[in-house]
Amino acid sequence: MKLKETENTVVLGIFLAVIGLIAALALAFISQLTAAPIAAAEQNATNQALQKVLPPFDNQPSANTITVKDPDGREVIFYGALRDGKLVGFAGKGSNPQGYAGAIEGLVGLEADGAVRTVLITRQSETPGLGTVVCDRKEVKTIFTLFKPSDKKEGAVPANRILDQFAGRKAAETPWRVSKDGGEFEFQTGATVTSRAVTALVWSIARAFEQNRAAVEAALGGNK
Amino acid sequence: MSLLKDFTKGLWKENPVLVLVLGTCPTLAVTSSATNGLGMGLATTFVLVCSNVVISIIAGIVPKKIRIPVYIVVIATFVTIIDLLMKAYSPPELYNALGIFISLIVVNCIVLGRAEAFASKNNPVRSFLDGLGMGLGFTLTLTMTGIIREFLSTGSMFEVKVITGWTVDFLLPSSAPGAFIIVGVLLAGMNYLNLRRAVKQGKVYVPPQGMDCRHCHICDFGDKAGGQD
Repeated sequence: MKLKETENTVVLGIFLAVIGLIAALALAFISQLTAAPIAAAEQNATNQALQKVLPPFDNQPSANTITVKDPDGREVIFYGALRDGKLVGFAGKGSNPQGYAGAIEGLVGLEADGAVRTVLITRQSETPGLGTVVCDRKEVKTIFTLFKPSDKKEGAVPANRILDQFAGRKAAETPWRVSKDGGEFEFQTGATVTSRAVTALVWSIARAFEQNRAAVEAALGGNK
Repeated sequence: MSLLKDFTKGLWKENPVLVLVLGTCPTLAVTSSATNGLGMGLATTFVLVCSNVVISIIAGIVPKKIRIPVYIVVIATFVTIIDLLMKAYSPPELYNALGIFISLIVVNCIVLGRAEAFASKNNPVRSFLDGLGMGLGFTLTLTMTGIIREFLSTGSMFEVKVITGWTVDFLLPSSAPGAFIIVGVLLAGMNYLNLRRAVKQGKVYVPPQGMDCRHCHICDFGDKAGGQD
């Protein structure tokens, strides 16, 4: 009896198992091969984001971290930036589940005194054209600027009307709310939910720093 | 000559999206920009070519009863490989934008459809060309849909503003309903062109057979309903 026409359940089972085994071996091989590049790519992405939100530093903030809880009990990872052995700033990475389409993840750069420096949204799935206007820091390329050398300054990020208004704020100042809820922050028309979530996210990271300040500074302080 | 036809039929005559109307889920879901469409199309092409070749090699020994599970395992393996490769080497923005839809290539009808309808019956060389042609036809359609949607919604192409001063995005083309409308218009246009060409040649236009229910035997629906034509 030919293998192709067989209806013997045991033979069929063994055949399927062998195919599965070959597939598993192939995947194990590829997975091992790509493990290092994937880790490097993730590391690279984190480093690039950190460089955007932190003041100039000379240590490895991605290796200098501490995890604390924000006032709502969610985890915030703080990265410490050092220059000549002195703390020059922090970056807090946290998420807020109240986006319009799932969680919004952000990286907030803080000055050494806890004031917000730069806000970067690292992961979101908001409505294109509405929610993304709140979250994206994208440089607008046009056919006229495409071939011109960029005159961008080192460490500068493309502007965003909503995200830029947090710069210089401290957690202790009045409750952070969008103007629709009686606060003083602008929001994007048509993306109120996203604006609220982003405001809450930045505030919770700033407050997490304020509340755990001593612990964070002690853990990330380096050699004083 | 016939080898060339294996390759070119996927580009126009049997274009997977616009003629066979397969793989509409990624077509509607990820083509919000030209870059996303191109990335998704190329990932699918890779899976399609690899699975077509492997399946045409092993088709001779795979028992008929379990051929579909075996094909799915082969396809899933290549999808996982492209997922890992993209995670490691593609720009992070592209990988994030495509997200879950890379894994969903496993259930893309084009891949299983070509495996069952073509690769299992033909030699590896022809199956390779078929996979490449179908994949590139898919990529072209996705990229074209992406270009149209991105342009209508933001006035840019491949994230470069073509019309400066277009500052407020137009939301319909970048959302799912807009995708339906645009793909529908493309489908209608494709049918119109094919019909007109057939009329000019004095023939009756017959859509390519082999993928509709009467001719496909992946499930037994066609066998039950078939025969009456």
